[in-house]
Amino acid sequence: MAVTDVPPAIELHRVAVAYDGVPVLADLDLRVEPGETLALLGPSGSGKTTLLFAVAGFLGIAGGEIRIAGRLASDRSTTLAPERRDVAVVFQQYALWPHLNAVETVAYPILRRGVDRARARLEALDLLERMGVSHLAERRPAQLSGGEQQRVGVARALARRAAVILLDEPTAHLDTPLRSALGAELSEQRRRSGAAAVYATHDVSEALAVADRVALLRDGRIVQVGDPRAIYERPVDLWAARLSGPASVVAAELVGDGRVRIAGRNVSLALDGGVRSLPDGTEAALLVRPDWVSLGGELPGAVSAVWFRGPWTDYRLETAAGTVEVREPGPPRAAPGQAVGWTLARAWLLDAGAQAGSPA
Amino acid sequence: MVERTWRPVAWGVVAAALAGLVLWPLARLLGEAVGAGLGRLLGDLGSAGAGAIVNSLWVSALVTVLALGGGLAAALLTERSRISGAGLLRLAILVPLVIPDFVSAMSWLRAYGPVGLTHRLLGIELPGLVGPAGIVIVLSVGALPLAYLVIAGGMRVRAEPDLERAARASGASALVAFRSVTLPLLWPVLVAAAGLVFVTSMNAFGTPVVLGSPAGFTTMTTRIYGDLAFSSSDEAFRRVIALACLLVVVAVSIVGLVDRLGGQGVDRTGLAGGTRATAGPHRRWAAVLAWLAVVLTVLVPLLALVLAALTRAVGLDPVPANLTLANFGRALDSHAIGALANSLLLATGAAALAVGLALVATALGSRWRPRLNTAVTLTFAVPGSVLAVAVLLAFGATLRDTLAIILLAYVAKLWALGQRPISGAADRLSGDLLRAARASGAGLLAALRTVTLPLLAPAIAAGALLVFVFAVHELTISVLLYGPTTETLAVDILGLQQVGDPVVTAALAVILTAVVAALAGLLLLLIRRFPWTEAGH
Repeated sequence: MAVTDVPPAIELHRVAVAYDGVPVLADLDLRVEPGETLALLGPSGSGKTTLLFAVAGFLGIAGGEIRIAGRLASDRSTTLAPERRDVAVVFQQYALWPHLNAVETVAYPILRRGVDRARARLEALDLLERMGVSHLAERRPAQLSGGEQQRVGVARALARRAAVILLDEPTAHLDTPLRSALGAELSEQRRRSGAAAVYATHDVSEALAVADRVALLRDGRIVQVGDPRAIYERPVDLWAARLSGPASVVAAELVGDGRVRIAGRNVSLALDGGVRSLPDGTEAALLVRPDWVSLGGELPGAVSAVWFRGPWTDYRLETAAGTVEVREPGPPRAAPGQAVGWTLARAWLLDAGAQAGSPA
Repeated sequence: MVERTWRPVAWGVVAAALAGLVLWPLARLLGEAVGAGLGRLLGDLGSAGAGAIVNSLWVSALVTVLALGGGLAAALLTERSRISGAGLLRLAILVPLVIPDFVSAMSWLRAYGPVGLTHRLLGIELPGLVGPAGIVIVLSVGALPLAYLVIAGGMRVRAEPDLERAARASGASALVAFRSVTLPLLWPVLVAAAGLVFVTSMNAFGTPVVLGSPAGFTTMTTRIYGDLAFSSSDEAFRRVIALACLLVVVAVSIVGLVDRLGGQGVDRTGLAGGTRATAGPHRRWAAVLAWLAVVLTVLVPLLALVLAALTRAVGLDPVPANLTLANFGRALDSHAIGALANSLLLATGAAALAVGLALVATALGSRWRPRLNTAVTLTFAVPGSVLAVAVLLAFGATLRDTLAIILLAYVAKLWALGQRPISGAADRLSGDLLRAARASGAGLLAALRTVTLPLLAPAIAAGALLVFVFAVHELTISVLLYGPTTETLAVDILGLQQVGDPVVTAALAVILTAVVAALAGLLLLLIRRFPWTEAGH
């Protein structure tokens, strides 16, 4: 490594964690660059919290190694104490100390850095101001709403001035409007602090919106890492596809030249996914996102359900090639039971010979 | 919960019980004290009484420190570290709770006393076991699980692991996190545990009478027993009144103090739970030490007691040739069987009455539940010796030497034990459950029968068993109230011990402990069997 190279903020190499002999994380590799936000997307029980806790030093690892800002933090035999790692944590259930008010809470990590009380208080007030809750400085957690509690929790993490911030589903317990507001603010504050972040969540739209890169976690293994568009447009398999957004699977036959045959008709579309290596005539399962499909085309189908969502409308079509989800802007243009034509502009070739299934 | 028409009846029952069982007897006690006059009371207290007070105070203070330290260490071990067999260790720590305190005092004598197991096998004995040091040790061992229960429970709800992790991730070392987060959060819990242990030690009778009396070391409770049972002078009687009043004052003021210090508790944050996915560091050595302590303080004494019960005569080595089951036959003579029958009868009656009262009090609704709980808990804090004296003053004229007078005192004392689980379960029952049943077409009675009762059933059973267990191994009250035909098994065992038939005493103590342990096991099964008794709050 050259002298000028900045080491990754976090580097996990073949990390394994087990509880009572049951593996929770296995053979896990992951890098987060300085200043980058990585979203850790996975269903509950996939090991998100375990991974964060291993990075934070709350639990030891059974194999591999974890480096933080180039420094060895965990390996099989040693676990650097959490307070000696360059890491801050925002907890899912906020974890605010019931006996301290907001400003004392935020001052806590500042005092641990050796700053005197008066200066720590000023710095804490400044952080509360930045999070828009300075008027609540003297309140204890029980007197704060969920959103306010989490703002204090974020201010406390920022006060640590760590190279890495770990966020364990920080908005999981908030209402939808509050979620997006806090999510946006979090990214902004994090960018200002220049810290790298790992943002664990089970919410796809949150992951795609906040992250520079997204890592999909399944049963303690990383399934796919990529930028949000790649995750959405080019999932590695059906599981990843369904985790990373609404998806339908359409049965098709490859007929060469980026054309496919669906329900007996040739369709020309932007087909992605290793199609060139496959011979013509191969049966294939195409992954189709709702926004890649549009109503009004030559393929036949019937509307089985319609959901008006305000800015857009979702339709479910029953077709000879499988059930297809469609999303179009504006109010409903078709009613359930109605026969409609449809077509698709693009598709992602999942794997040849795969079964067409029902939509996620 | 109850329709309007039944409300006055329920109120009447609860008020009458509180007045008759607690207020009236305590008023009679106070009346005696006022009638005698403060000057006479203090004069009659004399050096004997004053010495007993001082002894009680310092023994209790020492026990509080030891039990609290042990309980905190045990709680940190089971709640905050990753050790194998934590569940079993938890259970082992709690074992002393089901051993009657006079039985554990006797078992310590059999294990570490002058002719005890270790003396015969290794030639060593515990110096000072008979006397104040022994009392402090045995009381501490008995009180440790109480402190542990309160502290571990408090750790679970107040100091969640995430709060400590947040401190560590803020740059605090383990020690700083403990000092700045865990301790402040646990402060009310520690105060409550200290109060509970102190009052329990002040009220303890079995251990001081078994280990203190032979050494001439008296505490307030053994003084009351001595004066009431073996003396008939007016002076001794006034000393009993004075000591009883003092014990009430100590108990009530400690409970009040705990309420003030602990009550200003910390509000919980909006969210319960937090991440429990991971436990703390491995602490293998601490676990080994904890198991060693359990073995030395609980298992070895129990083993010694069982061996003594199986040995032909005290002083013989526990080799097969000297072992016999004859002691159990001798122990269960007609007298002991009568005493056992009395104990079981009293325990059954106390359990039924206490649970009945608890149900009526709970039915008065959630608005009154906390206040009634406080009232009932206060009566639980009244020392057994005092309650016995007060009940004797109030009902002695008509009920002296009957099982009824013991039963009255038992119900007054143990009502709280029945009420706690039942009102706790009722608090967790959402009113919507009953409303959902009504909205599904059930009448009030049908709804109570099909929804409320099944959900409360485990709590009712738990409350009844708890009262039963405590009544079976109760000694303090029955030793002051028993008559020629109303001896309880505990009283019988104490009598035998003082007459000096160690092997038969041991056999009877083993029988009593086995009964209690079986019941406690049943209680545990019950709690495990019905998961909803723990969940959902």
